Amino acid sequence: MAEGLRVQGLSVSYGPALIVHEVDLEVGAGATVSVVGPNGAGKTTVLRALSGLVLWEKSSSRQAGVQLVGEVWFGQERVDHLPAHQIASRGLILCPERRRPFREMTVEENLQAGAYLVRSRKVAQQRMAEVCRLFPVLRERGRQRAGTLSGGEQQMLAIGRALMGGPKLLMIDEPSTGLAPLVKQPLFARIREIKTLGIGILLVEQDAELALSMADSGYVLSQGRVVAQGSPAELLADEVVRRSYLGL
Amino acid sequence: MIFADILIDGLVRSGVYAMLALGFALVFGVGRVLNLAHTAFFMVASYGIFYFVGIGTGMPLAIVLSSIGVVAVGLLLYKLFLESVREMEATVLIASLASAVLLQELMLLFFGRQYGRVPEVFSGFTRILGVRVGNQELATLALAVLCLVGMWVLLSRTRLGLAIRTSAQDPEVANLMGINVSRVVQVVVALGILLAALAGAAVAPLITVEPHLWMDRLVIVLAAVVLGGLGSLKGSILGAVILAFAEAFVVFLLPGGSYLRTAVAMAIMLGVFLARPEGLFGAGIEEES
Ligand SMILES: Nc1ncnc2c1ncn2[C@@H]1O[C@H](COP(=O)(O)OP(=O)(O)O)[C@@H](O)[C@H]1O
Ligand SMILES: [Mg+2]
Repeated sequence: MAEGLRVQGLSVSYGPALIVHEVDLEVGAGATVSVVGPNGAGKTTVLRALSGLVLWEKSSSRQAGVQLVGEVWFGQERVDHLPAHQIASRGLILCPERRRPFREMTVEENLQAGAYLVRSRKVAQQRMAEVCRLFPVLRERGRQRAGTLSGGEQQMLAIGRALMGGPKLLMIDEPSTGLAPLVKQPLFARIREIKTLGIGILLVEQDAELALSMADSGYVLSQGRVVAQGSPAELLADEVVRRSYLGL
Repeated sequence: MIFADILIDGLVRSGVYAMLALGFALVFGVGRVLNLAHTAFFMVASYGIFYFVGIGTGMPLAIVLSSIGVVAVGLLLYKLFLESVREMEATVLIASLASAVLLQELMLLFFGRQYGRVPEVFSGFTRILGVRVGNQELATLALAVLCLVGMWVLLSRTRLGLAIRTSAQDPEVANLMGINVSRVVQVVVALGILLAALAGAAVAPLITVEPHLWMDRLVIVLAAVVLGGLGSLKGSILGAVILAFAEAFVVFLLPGGSYLRTAVAMAIMLGVFLARPEGLFGAGIEEES
């Protein structure tokens, strides 16, 4: 079910600005990997590159001078030249930064949109049941417009929507941003539960301690480069990393 | 029975303008293309009807043939002139305006300065509640309602509709859900052209077919979508209905009304601008369904 991800020499630049520089990264099949680092380090850009959104920006000429190099392997397949919608169809699915629900659509329609690629009605219903078991509030609010949900609920919806697509590796960008600690804790408990479903997770977070506490391994990103990597315990024990990059 | 006449005329105009405005709003909402050639497709379709009926084709087949032809021409123009400059608003305006003029000149070239009258397919009248209503008017209205209901079902009840609505709201996230947004944009462009073509076909027997037909219709469509709130499908239809009835009143009640109708539409639009700059429904494309 799960599939491994291997990234080699990923660089992204927008015009003269080099945002991501030769990043190597690996997520074993079914593993949970956290990428942490200060604001503006390039974490989101890495995930946007992996999900095909950088390529989409580049091809749509919305952005001038987008450069993208490096190799991305998902399972046995090289995916860095695939358009975003095909990357999603391989089971490499991004739950984007700032949640971005389809605000004018109902919660239920958002989840249906997540299951766009699922042709079988039965599978879609099973996934819906699974997602609603993880996040019961989504069932309660099914008919409500997504824009009316609270921040925490929107994050659950965004994760639920991504799960509807049947990810083999789920990439989540900053799920805890803007959430009160009381909302954060149960949300991360749910993410831990997703781990146990045999789905790999690539988690990007500013809250380094929280993110590393649930990971099998971690990377520290700063100014577009990987400045440290290793087991969560090693990273959290490293004084230099703690002080210079994690603000701990 | 002048008010009955106004009602019928207003309804027929509403149907035609609503088809035009809905297609325009869809293409803008999903493709982000403000296509000024939109009503030129309407004009070419009415020429298509004029031509095919003229050579003896039955009306249903004429509608099918001219719609296919117009969608083909429209997609070709879109591919050639608009798609590559899609991200540059000013260039799109100029390129689409040029496309409209190109189509206008082509029609002049093929059909000359003669103005076309398409013979009515449904002659005669039907009495509805004691009012005589032309059968052709009824047929035009019926086709318009059919198309609008069909579009509503497509958007709110089908998988393609879901892809269209999500692509309009957040194309990046739609991509992340596995939706081929570039493809959806192309389908929406084709649907918009088809709506314009069917509007032209529906109304052709009621109007004089001529090359400049697209101009005042374009003004009406722009006014309708701005009136309704750029980006809102429901709003574009409401705007079309308001302007259609305003026109019907002006045409029937004011001396020289036929010359004033577009001016009145403009006055309404400017009035709404002053009171509510975001239009009547200043929202996303999504409040439908
Ligand atoms: N489209 C873009 N064009 C130019 N600069 C960008 C673009 N996207 C991100 N950046 C810049 O790249 C840097 C890294 O951004 P980001 O990947 O969002 O970091 P993080 O997610 O780690 O906070 C920031 O300085 C940001 O301003
Ligand atoms: Mg970020």
